[in-house]
Amino acid sequence: MLCDICKKNEATIHIKEIHNGQSHTSNLCESCAAEQEKNGKLGALGFNLAEMLHNLGKISADAAHTPDSEERNESVLTCPGCGWTLSKIKHSGGRLGCPECYHTFEKIIRDALSGVQRGTVHFGKRPPSASGNSRAALEAELKERQHELEALVKREEYEQAAACRDRILQLKEELAALDGGKNE
Amino acid sequence: MSESIERLLKNPVSFLTDAGPDEDIAISSRIRLARNLAGKPFPVAADLDLRREICDEVAKAAAQSGALGCPECFQFDPEEMDAIDREILFERRLASRDFLARAGGTRLLVRDDESSSVMINEEDHLRIQTLRPGFQLDTVWKIIDRLDSELAKQLDFAFDDRLGFLTSCPTNVGTGMRASVMLHLPGLVLTGQIGPTIQGVNKLNLAVRGIYGEGTDNRGSLYQVSNQSTLGESEEQIIDRLNSVISQLIAHEKEARRTLLERDQYGLLDYVGRSYGILRHSYKLSSEEAIKSLSGLRVGVDMGLFNSVGIRKVNELFIAIGAAHLQKSAGRELSPAERDICRAALCREKLKHS
Ligand SMILES: [Zn+2]
Ligand SMILES: [Zn+2]
Repeated sequence: MLCDICKKNEATIHIKEIHNGQSHTSNLCESCAAEQEKNGKLGALGFNLAEMLHNLGKISADAAHTPDSEERNESVLTCPGCGWTLSKIKHSGGRLGCPECYHTFEKIIRDALSGVQRGTVHFGKRPPSASGNSRAALEAELKERQHELEALVKREEYEQAAACRDRILQLKEELAALDGGKNE
Repeated sequence: MSESIERLLKNPVSFLTDAGPDEDIAISSRIRLARNLAGKPFPVAADLDLRREICDEVAKAAAQSGALGCPECFQFDPEEMDAIDREILFERRLASRDFLARAGGTRLLVRDDESSSVMINEEDHLRIQTLRPGFQLDTVWKIIDRLDSELAKQLDFAFDDRLGFLTSCPTNVGTGMRASVMLHLPGLVLTGQIGPTIQGVNKLNLAVRGIYGEGTDNRGSLYQVSNQSTLGESEEQIIDRLNSVISQLIAHEKEARRTLLERDQYGLLDYVGRSYGILRHSYKLSSEEAIKSLSGLRVGVDMGLFNSVGIRKVNELFIAIGAAHLQKSAGRELSPAERDICRAALCREKLKHS
């Protein structure tokens, strides 16, 4: 069997991907598979972030005609951390240039993620460097998690809701501790 | 560098040759964690000098923290290795093809028993991996969690309170964790249940990927089940969800094998016997045919049909028949036709006394 892409080399890698019950098999040679993987076309298991960002980009371009819209700003934004623009991200297969990109393209990333990720807020391991939280970060997270809790309860995902509630309590304690520190 | 590869090749591949829980059906359990250094561009946006700096920084952190048993760990620089040596790392599941194809400024650190490794400057600055035999994601999580914490003492990881660990591709953001178990499911394939089973697992937001081929004709009947979502659940929650689904898959597979044995005992014996015959007596063996036959042999071994072939010998062969491993043991480059001849000779030799 020949490779689906170059139609020259023998296909030695057969990748079956199933997404939403639809299955598709790609038969690739080693070099085309490596190329595909590099472009992020195999790694995300049927989900193509590049495409999604591309579609969002189109929406942004349309929105650019509407004055003062938030989207308009995003389509021309440049990340101060790495100098990347939305179009650069699209060309890299949905890869971001640096951690700062998450702030720069916040809205667009959030929209793209809502389709793939089960939640919007991180639960789980935190590195030691993450402990010294600023008040703004704590408050932002608290607000976010309260929304998350409502959504989880609505979806009857009680186990996650319990974990979320624990984190809310922890955040409130941390905020209270900050207040206490200030009053003394 | 090539001296390291020689030393590596003397290792038994521990994720295949050590005993593991449910090893008849679950071949291996793997967890990967994506981590990046705060304030630095991701590898895709970093120039060669910066990527080299990052390699040194991570290697130094590993040495100082003793993570991976460094500095006495394996260190590979793919740029300095020839194509066959690079492929060896892929066949032993220590590195991804994507990583090995990158030009310069990458490094691979490997614990000397190959159970854990760190790819530096793959898609993320660090891709930490732990791979163990059988079905044991909880243990694998304990090992990799500790490894990650050791590295985090020396390195400042990019982390956001709301989004968690920040990764180059937002599909990994949050825990940065991809946990997977490789399963051998010939019973479900032969009874035609694999399609609906995969669909069912997909509905639970987990990914199922055939390793070598397609649906009912999957050469090798090997499937990898992994989490798709990395944000919104803790590592333990993700693993719990995977564990419960995989336990059910293992139970279904056992049930399917029982059904086959009751319904068509001779059909099953014929399948196993032919697989064995091909491995034991052929003189030209393509990679595809070898994998398919090894899968059939594995079923026979699980059923206790062979006295002197153990599951680990079969597992070992899955690696040994790889193109790079064949060429390495031949000591030279082989054409595809020569590889088929060597592959057949290897299988005949390994199964000689069975
Ligand atoms: Zn090709
Ligand atoms: Zn950036």
